[in-house]
Amino acid sequence: MDIRSCQVFWSVLRKDENFIVILGGNMVNSAMIEINNLVKRYGDKAAVNNVSLQVNGGEVFGFLGPNGAGKTTTIKVIVGLLQPTAGTVKVAGYDVQTQPLPAKAASGYVPDTPNLYAKLTGRELLRFVGDLYDLDRKQVAQRTEELLQMFDLTSAADDTVDSYSHGMQQKISLAAALMHDPKVLVLDEPTVGLDPKSARLIKDILRQMADRGAAIFLSTHILEIAERMCDRIGIINKGELIAVGTMDELRSLGKAGETSLEDIFLGLTGGAEEAEIAEILK
Amino acid sequence: MNTITLSPSHPLWPAVWKLIRLRVLISINTFKHTRTIRKILTVVAGLGLLAFAGMIFFLSWRLLDFLRSPQLKQYAGMDVAPFLQAMPVIILTGLFAGILLSSFGVLLQALYLSGDMDFLLASPVPIRAVFVTKLLQAVLPNFGLISLFGLPLLYGLGLSGNYHFFYYPLVLLTMVALTLAAAGLSSLLVILVARILPARRAAEILGFIGAILAFTCGQSGNLFNSFGSSANVSGAQVSNMFSLVARFNTPWLPLNWAGQGLVALGEGRWLTGSLLVALTLGLSAVAFLFALATAERWYYTGWASMQVVSHRKKPLRTARHAVDSGTTRPNALSNVSPVRGLKRLLTAPVWGILWKDFLLLRRDLRNLSQLISPLIFGVIYSVIFLRAGGQPPAGQGEAPDWFTTTFRSLMSYGNILMALFVGWWLLGRLSGMAFSSEGKNYWMLKSAPVRASQMLTAKFLVAYLPTLVLGVFFLAGISILQKTPLGGFLYSLLAVAMCLAGMNGILLAFGALGANFKWEDPRKMSAGQLGCLGQLLGMLYLPVAFLLFIGPLWLVPVFRLPPVAGYLGGLVLGVTITGCCAFLPPWLIRSRVERLGES
Repeated sequence: MDIRSCQVFWSVLRKDENFIVILGGNMVNSAMIEINNLVKRYGDKAAVNNVSLQVNGGEVFGFLGPNGAGKTTTIKVIVGLLQPTAGTVKVAGYDVQTQPLPAKAASGYVPDTPNLYAKLTGRELLRFVGDLYDLDRKQVAQRTEELLQMFDLTSAADDTVDSYSHGMQQKISLAAALMHDPKVLVLDEPTVGLDPKSARLIKDILRQMADRGAAIFLSTHILEIAERMCDRIGIINKGELIAVGTMDELRSLGKAGETSLEDIFLGLTGGAEEAEIAEILK
Repeated sequence: MNTITLSPSHPLWPAVWKLIRLRVLISINTFKHTRTIRKILTVVAGLGLLAFAGMIFFLSWRLLDFLRSPQLKQYAGMDVAPFLQAMPVIILTGLFAGILLSSFGVLLQALYLSGDMDFLLASPVPIRAVFVTKLLQAVLPNFGLISLFGLPLLYGLGLSGNYHFFYYPLVLLTMVALTLAAAGLSSLLVILVARILPARRAAEILGFIGAILAFTCGQSGNLFNSFGSSANVSGAQVSNMFSLVARFNTPWLPLNWAGQGLVALGEGRWLTGSLLVALTLGLSAVAFLFALATAERWYYTGWASMQVVSHRKKPLRTARHAVDSGTTRPNALSNVSPVRGLKRLLTAPVWGILWKDFLLLRRDLRNLSQLISPLIFGVIYSVIFLRAGGQPPAGQGEAPDWFTTTFRSLMSYGNILMALFVGWWLLGRLSGMAFSSEGKNYWMLKSAPVRASQMLTAKFLVAYLPTLVLGVFFLAGISILQKTPLGGFLYSLLAVAMCLAGMNGILLAFGALGANFKWEDPRKMSAGQLGCLGQLLGMLYLPVAFLLFIGPLWLVPVFRLPPVAGYLGGLVLGVTITGCCAFLPPWLIRSRVERLGES
């Protein structure tokens, strides 16, 4: 599947009258994810400390940070898997705490580890997700076939998920997140374990979704993906958001000569010394 | 085909020692980090096992001494010498078969499912060392367990027969040799099976068969007791059993040579004994080395990982077919009021969860074994109940009259009791673990726009519907055999349906509160302390709910009221209280369900 297939897929969706509202142009430039003073504590330890940020419709937002910085915790709060200790999170204008159902209905989530029902087949899994989002059966059946075809999973659609490779599980997980054509798509390390073709497909899909007005929030360790794909980037370190902005804005935050995202990231998160040592050891 | 060579720079046994030391270290660390109470219990259990082995040794020594006494032969007319000579043969054959079968599951886990094989094979240790360690790791616990019973018996036999000193170390040596041979052959079997079936599926099938066999064997003892509880074992039967065992001691089975050789050595028949024991040790060594070399070669060359049996795929549904199948939900009945109510209850997410849970229950054999056990249990106890003809057990005639009368009266509702008991058992699994069974997949439900009430409705139905079917199956079966009148049957049906619904509500609520989503093995998903509390409450609830329906029927003659008053009273009391139990506990915890999985 290539970018043309994606375009065909979205054109099919556009014909569906249920999605006319979702695809309305008013999503672009309006805040689809609003995080205000978010705090999440585990006992005494603050995993996320006073984070505030906003992701607009039509924007691909990259969320970067070292291991254990609080990326996954923030993502889990956004999609309603974790309750924040303080602060608010709004998705598509709905408060995740007080209006969880419309907030969840508007978002799709791809976790870092695709824990899926191992004894369901790929097709059954998508049908189940369609039921959870209360989609019409006819739509579910149609979209299932389209998504399976788009992710090159048609031949494995009737095999149980436990027989899938990690990459296939990642793809079916993404297909499940796209079943209801979410206004907000939250992805935690979406390209881990994917072959180059699938990784490219995902990048294309995300870009197209953003072009159609959806907000994409993705965490990644692959700085090249963030640099190329994301309109804006947020960097979190030790639970605190230390930088947010476009690449140009981030460059202005870094030291002179730090032009690549890797340099900026290492400079901001304190990994520059380690990088220098690694350079000497080469 | 690749050949496996042992590099001289990496000798085998130091590498084996390193890997075993790693295992020991993991065990010590696990022990260190457990709670103090568990440490104490482990030590006490270890000492208890040693004491148990000592007791077996002492008892077998004295008993075998008694069996050898000339007086027994003189008075009872039994010649037990052939039986005693066959004893080591039976024990050692049992050891071999036991290790062969029990190692299979452990080796399947160790070679294919533990996940450390790639790490170990990629590290600079000889492959053979990895395989030897895996074999030892697999057989040591089972060898220890079998030795706990077998070794004291064999030593007791030696002491009672004044066997030669050589007998004792050779018993141990022979047991070790047979164990290694059995483990080696078991590893070959594992690799052959894993070539045909995916290892995870093989483990599931093995677990299913093992659980069903263990449960059936455990419960069949009660069935046999009910068939022959009054039978006494006669001297002739004992004599027959001895001769049957002795007949097993044929020289044509190579497995028997070990036992025969040991007895011969113990009795001082050196030539026969040495020959048979040496033959056993030699054959065991050859079997072990051959199995080891073949297993590691098959594994290393990748032959073992290539499955030869392709799975028959279901015919792929075309998009058109799938679209057609999706149009069936709305129908002409949807405007009828009860149907509309039902549609409001059974929303798409509820249908989705119901459909998904039933599929998973059916497909995962590990779940299925837990679900089949109530059926086996129910069948066995129904047979026992029906054979007794609804009468209380005979006993010693010391029970007071009121007890016997009450018991007989209760037994007339045996159909309800049996249905409730089987239902309670099944609900313990389905309802108590309704949320825990989601495990790490719970994020899919939690991140979806599904209300807590929808989840609770779906989980309630997932547990209730199969339980109701099973309960009604037993109720109807026993009622037919008892020739229960139709009116009584319908009343019983309602009582069972409502009692189980109330029970389901209680268990579901407590199971949800104590839900555990972090399990890897479905057998470890038990819902913790709150789940146990729910089970206890359920045990208290069930007799109370039963009495609410049946009590008024008993009280009617006391107050000289017509029987219909009893039925009406039972209906009002029973339906109200059990209905509350079905509805209230889930309703009370609905806000907690919204927060599940956030810890």
